[in-house]
Amino acid sequence: MSLQSALQQLASFRANNSRESQETFAKGLVVLKAGKTVNLGEEGWAFLEQLALAAIDVGRIDIADQCLKQLSDKFDDSPRVDVLRGIRMEATQSPSIVLSFYDELLRISPSNAAIWKRRISVLRRLGKLEKAVEDLNEYLDTFYTDVEGWLELADIHASCNQYTYALQALSHALLLTPQNPFTFLQFAETAYSAGDMPLALKMFLVVIDMNESEDEDAIPLGISVRAWWGTKLCTRQLVASSATHNSQSNTSVPKNIKLVDELATERVLTAYSGEQGIQTRNLVSKWMSRR
Amino acid sequence: MSSLPVSLYLDPQIRDWVLFPITLVMILVGILRHYVVVLLQSAPKVQTRAAIREQRALARSQILRATAAHSPIPPVYYTSISQHLAAAYTAGTYLKDGPPKGDAPSAPPNPITDPAAMDGMMAGMKTQMVMMVPQMVIMGWINFFFQGFVLIKLPFPLTLGFKSMLQRGIETPDMDVRWVSSLSWYFLNFFGLNGLYRILLGSDNSADSSRDMTASPFAAPGGAAGVAGPQDFNKLFKAEKDNLEFSEGLHNWVGQDVENRVLRKYGKLAPAY
Repeated sequence: MSLQSALQQLASFRANNSRESQETFAKGLVVLKAGKTVNLGEEGWAFLEQLALAAIDVGRIDIADQCLKQLSDKFDDSPRVDVLRGIRMEATQSPSIVLSFYDELLRISPSNAAIWKRRISVLRRLGKLEKAVEDLNEYLDTFYTDVEGWLELADIHASCNQYTYALQALSHALLLTPQNPFTFLQFAETAYSAGDMPLALKMFLVVIDMNESEDEDAIPLGISVRAWWGTKLCTRQLVASSATHNSQSNTSVPKNIKLVDELATERVLTAYSGEQGIQTRNLVSKWMSRR
Repeated sequence: MSSLPVSLYLDPQIRDWVLFPITLVMILVGILRHYVVVLLQSAPKVQTRAAIREQRALARSQILRATAAHSPIPPVYYTSISQHLAAAYTAGTYLKDGPPKGDAPSAPPNPITDPAAMDGMMAGMKTQMVMMVPQMVIMGWINFFFQGFVLIKLPFPLTLGFKSMLQRGIETPDMDVRWVSSLSWYFLNFFGLNGLYRILLGSDNSADSSRDMTASPFAAPGGAAGVAGPQDFNKLFKAEKDNLEFSEGLHNWVGQDVENRVLRKYGKLAPAY
């Protein structure tokens, strides 16, 4: 592997914000061994940070320490290096020590978002969910546009069966990324867990509607298989019991629910028509016919 | 004279001792200035949580309103967020110093007395000084030593309209427009060296001087850096509240009619039109 291609690959990882720790570590080690970080110029520091994170991921603390030392020598009081130091500590130290480290940093600069987030993640890991949620709420009240934060909040709430709160957090995430079908899917599934069938059905259908490339003849793939399954599960319940469904969000059941149910059945079965799917198709169709 | 081109012979010494030095000095001063500005730049001030919250509070309702006509979230969630924001704006929850007390009219803070705003202004003034002083010195130097010099002949013909631009400082009505005077050469460099600086110093250099002709020392460096003068957030919030109410009327959930759209797409329902 040439040095040049390794560097190029690493730069593209950085640009695309992709983690790829194993690969980053392997490539980064080549660069580090060649001692070329010095003549990388400004890029070199970003590379060291990337390699340190990857090294912690794959458990090579020694390499991470090497990178961290170079970075600390250059930028001693940089908040970004502080975060890296914190992550390094999280890898080996006990959470309470890390927590006090973060507390100290936050006392000096209360508006450091990255450290604030790390602290919340440590709190969650410790199982102090109440404190984590409280902190996360305060964090999101200040930095509203952090989609990751809202998703994390939704995740914490969902893990405690507080689906209503989870839906509220997800609705903020949806407002921030209205173009992401995966957020819609998560919203739909959370609504399904909360028992709000009509809302879940609508949201599953939105996911399908967003998938423009799929049409009548195509076999559903990836996210749309999941969305069709979700639709089917919802319509099954809605068709089975004609009683009015209670929906916390006052969503009405579609008038042509029967048609939607038929379509969902058809689409789910289509999803199992490929070479791999054909074995399970019988199982699925048996489940479909069982009312 | 009109038939024969004016043959004006320029001493090569002018080229070596006037044309090149002016250009070189301007380039070097630009580079020097870039580094002086870098030195003068004070580190961005650390803002408190409350200040960040206040600044970003408006963005919340803007995000909410941006998608109102095709909102990704159901009406219940939309109205709850919208009304929560409206209530918070009315009550002044997001204000840095807490909700306003009593009925005292909140005057916008005076920028001269507010130390935070003063800092931003001083930074602007400082860079402005670094920009202006060398230009004045160079212009004085050229005016004093090389006044009325003809430095260079452009290799292409130009119309008479360019005369005032290219022959500043030489009051001859008949000279061909292609001859460039020393002062005009200075101005050409002044406006034209930006491309060279960009190659030498990178794209966000502060060497280019023509840019700060328009900049005011009171404008914050970097524009959105946050010290953009005193803003009465309370007033902004009150105005945003009306916008929120307006958007609430516009709200239309993207899932409102989604089942029909999906059914139509898969041919289960006749097209709407």
